[in-house]
Amino acid sequence: MITKKIKTAALLMVLLMVGLSFTTLSKITVKGSDTMVILSQKWAEVYMKKNPGASIQVTGGGSGVGLAALINGSTDIANSSRPIKAAEIEKLKARYNTLGVEIPCAKDGLSVYLNKANPVSTLTIKQLGQIFSGKITNWSAVGGPDAPIKLYGRESSSGTFGFFKDNVVKTDFASSCQSLPGTAAIVNAVKKDKYSIGYGGAAYAEGVKDCAVKKDDKSPAVLPTAATIKNHTYPITRYLYMYLKSKPTGEMKAFIDWILSSEGQKLVVETGYFPVR
Amino acid sequence: MKKILFTGMLFAACLVNAQEKANDTAISKSVDTLKTNELTKLKESVEDHSMKLAGYEERFSALESVVNELSKIKVSGYIQAQYEMYDSWASDGSQHGIPVTGSAYEDNSFYLRRARVKFTYKPVDGVNFVLQPNFEIHQVTLKDAYVQLNDRWLNTFSLWVGQFSRPTYEIEYSSSSREFAERTLMTRTLYPSERDQGAKLEADFVTKYNVPLKLQFAVLNGNFGEGALANQAKDVDNGKDVMARGVYSLKFPSKGLGIDFGAHTYLGKTTVIALDSNPANNIFKDVNNNLFTPAVGDQFKKELFGAEMQLYYDFLGGLSLKSEYIRGTYSGTIHTAQVNTLFNANKIRNVEGYYLSLVKNVGKVNEVSLRYDVFDPNTKLSGNNVTTKDDLRYHNWTFAWQYYFNDYIKVMACYVLPLNEKSLNAGADYKKDKHDNIFTLRLQARF
Repeated sequence: MITKKIKTAALLMVLLMVGLSFTTLSKITVKGSDTMVILSQKWAEVYMKKNPGASIQVTGGGSGVGLAALINGSTDIANSSRPIKAAEIEKLKARYNTLGVEIPCAKDGLSVYLNKANPVSTLTIKQLGQIFSGKITNWSAVGGPDAPIKLYGRESSSGTFGFFKDNVVKTDFASSCQSLPGTAAIVNAVKKDKYSIGYGGAAYAEGVKDCAVKKDDKSPAVLPTAATIKNHTYPITRYLYMYLKSKPTGEMKAFIDWILSSEGQKLVVETGYFPVR
Repeated sequence: MKKILFTGMLFAACLVNAQEKANDTAISKSVDTLKTNELTKLKESVEDHSMKLAGYEERFSALESVVNELSKIKVSGYIQAQYEMYDSWASDGSQHGIPVTGSAYEDNSFYLRRARVKFTYKPVDGVNFVLQPNFEIHQVTLKDAYVQLNDRWLNTFSLWVGQFSRPTYEIEYSSSSREFAERTLMTRTLYPSERDQGAKLEADFVTKYNVPLKLQFAVLNGNFGEGALANQAKDVDNGKDVMARGVYSLKFPSKGLGIDFGAHTYLGKTTVIALDSNPANNIFKDVNNNLFTPAVGDQFKKELFGAEMQLYYDFLGGLSLKSEYIRGTYSGTIHTAQVNTLFNANKIRNVEGYYLSLVKNVGKVNEVSLRYDVFDPNTKLSGNNVTTKDDLRYHNWTFAWQYYFNDYIKVMACYVLPLNEKSLNAGADYKKDKHDNIFTLRLQARF
């Protein structure tokens, strides 16, 4: 009799677990990378028009903020313009017992913005690293006029900051590098300051000029264009990602499948980024 | 007459025109004056605002430097408050519950299990100072206190000096994240208090080289968690113990599968630092349970070898299977400066233990867990040959459920069923399975 009761209780528990595991979301929250906010909002807008029952809420805050929100359960999708860090995966393991799901959803090139009046137009990755780490402080050191270099960058919670630091600066940013809240603010600052330099998404470069970047001294200088970013000849290219706690189901799966479809990827191009397929 | 009238009118018209011109000039002059006044006022206002802005900027710069300094300090922590019920019976039924100083026996209690605040100060990139006190009702003890230096060139190596967790999986897995109320009996016995003082070198090859390999090497005093707290401040026997651990991670993203596996070793010694005035307290038992009396300065093996594996699988939400196995030779004394209360004897023993835990996330906020752990503190004796309860093998079943209100607050219900090896010669309580189950209902808040 007791065995029968235990068996029934165990069966009910398993059914409850499976049932709860399949619980689908009626509202999807997306949070993270500021670089991806416009793109993500467009995706949500168009998708909701096509699927009136769907509710998708998009906010920015930076890649680090989005991934932290994914870990603490306050968002369903984290947008990130850099790959997830090992420490963040460890936190997902501890809380959700998964490694997370990584979905590359677009490609982007990181432009180095220069004022149009600045005679310098080409820099190597090494020179950029030395400039942003504060080892080179005058334009004359890179073939420009004798004028101090003014640095503009993003806050440390930004994925753009992280990607540029890991792949270009490779050490700490100079303390003189002024942090601004968003790529548009960096573009504006560089537009006004003849001897300044900044970095951000290739799609934002209006009113400033893109710096042609050389992988090393011997490589050709490459401008960030659709073709060079797509074929990876421009040295500072990256994927834009969406991260989930576990495999998507229900409405979330439908939304992600649509983003990766030709229709979703068409919006990637319209926003100034590059499709993954 | 007409001529006079015409001349008069012409004169009058000229006069009016002249007056208008004079008026226009006057108006123009007055407008100019107004404009000048307005401009002066505007200029004054702009100057005033510029000065105010400069003042704000000055104050902001001062505040910015303060905020920048404060942002280098990170404070986190957690409190675990719980209600416990102990199903603990003496064999003759005379006592129920666990002994509590100053009263008889207690079979339930509220208990503040952990109250910790962790301060991390990062003055420059690559340097961390960590301080973590644990607040108890009657005392404050230091859990973590170390300096961590990260290499800024290869982003691979880090050096830890101070007091920190010994490098094994179960110890390094934070109590605030753990799915069960307590660590396994094996870990609590072999690595008392989890921490030790010393220096640790870590190499993590994932950031720079994208190789998911982590190596740890530590030199430790070897006596932390043993003996009176005051004796743990420094080494008691000069000899340093060594620990090493390596972990490699495999990932299969398309299958939602990740496997971490590794091994660790502890190579140390227990030194006889003094003999007791009572000769009976100086008698030791070797691994075969033979009696002997050591001399001061004699050293006994404390050598452990362990293997570990953690498997994570994305199956209807997260699922993990974790396991560790440790075996080796362990030694201890009952000297007040060295005693490990869970090992608790003058002896050398071959020990063995392992655990297997299964954790399943159910939906977004529920998590159920099951753990089976075994610890045998004397692999050479079993059954009725065991003559003391400290040599009995234990099989423990632990069931737990966690509910996450949010990232900061969770509730845990945990039930532990320890099943001891039975012996007719290890005390009346252990002729059959001793009643010693524990139920814990815990509320954890962290920030």
